[in-house]
Amino acid sequence: MDVPSKSNKAWADIVTGKKTYQLKFLAAKILLGRLTRAVKEDPSPDNVSSSVDQIYAIFANNVNMPSVQDDLKTIFG
Amino acid sequence: MQQTISTVAEITKKIESGRKLLLAGDEDALRQLPKGDWIAGTIPYFISGEEGGMVSREMICATDISDYVTDIEIATYDANSLARVYSEGPKHGFSFIIIPASSQTHLSFALNGPNYKDFGIRPLIGWIAGVHLSDLGKKTPKVVNGRTGEVLEDAALVLQAQLPINKVAEIGIVNLFEQGDGDILTFASDGFAAKDVMVNGEKRNFAAYIVKNKLDTKLPLVADYYGALVNISFQDVDEVEGQVKFYAPVFTGIRYKHARPVLDYVKEFNLRLTKEGAIESNRVVFSCNCILNYLYSELEGKKTDPFVGPVTFGEIAYQLLNQTLVYLEIMDV
Repeated sequence: MDVPSKSNKAWADIVTGKKTYQLKFLAAKILLGRLTRAVKEDPSPDNVSSSVDQIYAIFANNVNMPSVQDDLKTIFG
Repeated sequence: MQQTISTVAEITKKIESGRKLLLAGDEDALRQLPKGDWIAGTIPYFISGEEGGMVSREMICATDISDYVTDIEIATYDANSLARVYSEGPKHGFSFIIIPASSQTHLSFALNGPNYKDFGIRPLIGWIAGVHLSDLGKKTPKVVNGRTGEVLEDAALVLQAQLPINKVAEIGIVNLFEQGDGDILTFASDGFAAKDVMVNGEKRNFAAYIVKNKLDTKLPLVADYYGALVNISFQDVDEVEGQVKFYAPVFTGIRYKHARPVLDYVKEFNLRLTKEGAIESNRVVFSCNCILNYLYSELEGKKTDPFVGPVTFGEIAYQLLNQTLVYLEIMDV
């Protein structure tokens, strides 16, 4: 599965904590532990956008990992 | 599993035949090795497949990655340049890092790593080098660049490994500690030491709190990072100074809880592996476990199959971890 574009609402829903998922990709979990907290403290559009950039980038750069493929299916179906 | 515990002569032979190796051993043993495609960190504690937990100043733990990788580069970073470690990782592969314990590079990575540019964009795994516990204060932990022969006590050595297009690297952890049912602990600043802690939002002296509540400091603080449990191990509780020291930094905004006890490490380890079930031993290329698990859970002579490897002063799976087993899998895609 390809990585859906950054404009897909699901990315923003993850970093804002509107939706939570049980993920497998370790780097994503560690990064989201920090990003969701930072967005909760500062939910400005710029901060949400920057956080989406970061989480999108680690998925896009590791798309061949089995855990990433599993997580993409979990998030985007 | 490509990790073995070997003599200096056996490792020398492998180096001279061009094998690409990740090594761990006592400084005196490592200094006897010829130049070649390897990096190493100092530590004389290992988990071996045959003997389980063991200590040896003569033997060397070797991870042979020659059959997996297409090319390697070895990079040296200091406390400042290490900020590029994720950005400069191989586009298709993984980076393997070793840093000497208590060096400025170690402290900087621990504190700043999570905020480095491109965090997590490429796999980063490794460990913190140490010394025999009887040498604490007498010898310093070191890393060795096999290509140049340099022995460094304040630097990070990173072996950047390129994989063929049909293979991918994944990093995993096995952490037996879970958050207990006690208070929520937060801290006002990032660091390896804290005087004050917020206990459920109320400011308290942390050392006094630990003493009053009789917290077992062999059990770490545990934070939940979106389902990944990350430990902070206690180093010292100074009641007089009112200060608590840690083996990894606490961070502001993170909610920590004292861990639930692990009564029998090996038993619970095996239960965890059975429950998770997805770890195939033939895909595990490297693993290491924490010296605190080795000591507190008395792992000498005990096995943690399928995981072997060095017993370390800190583990790195993207960022610094404590009291955690980390492992690298390489699999076909």
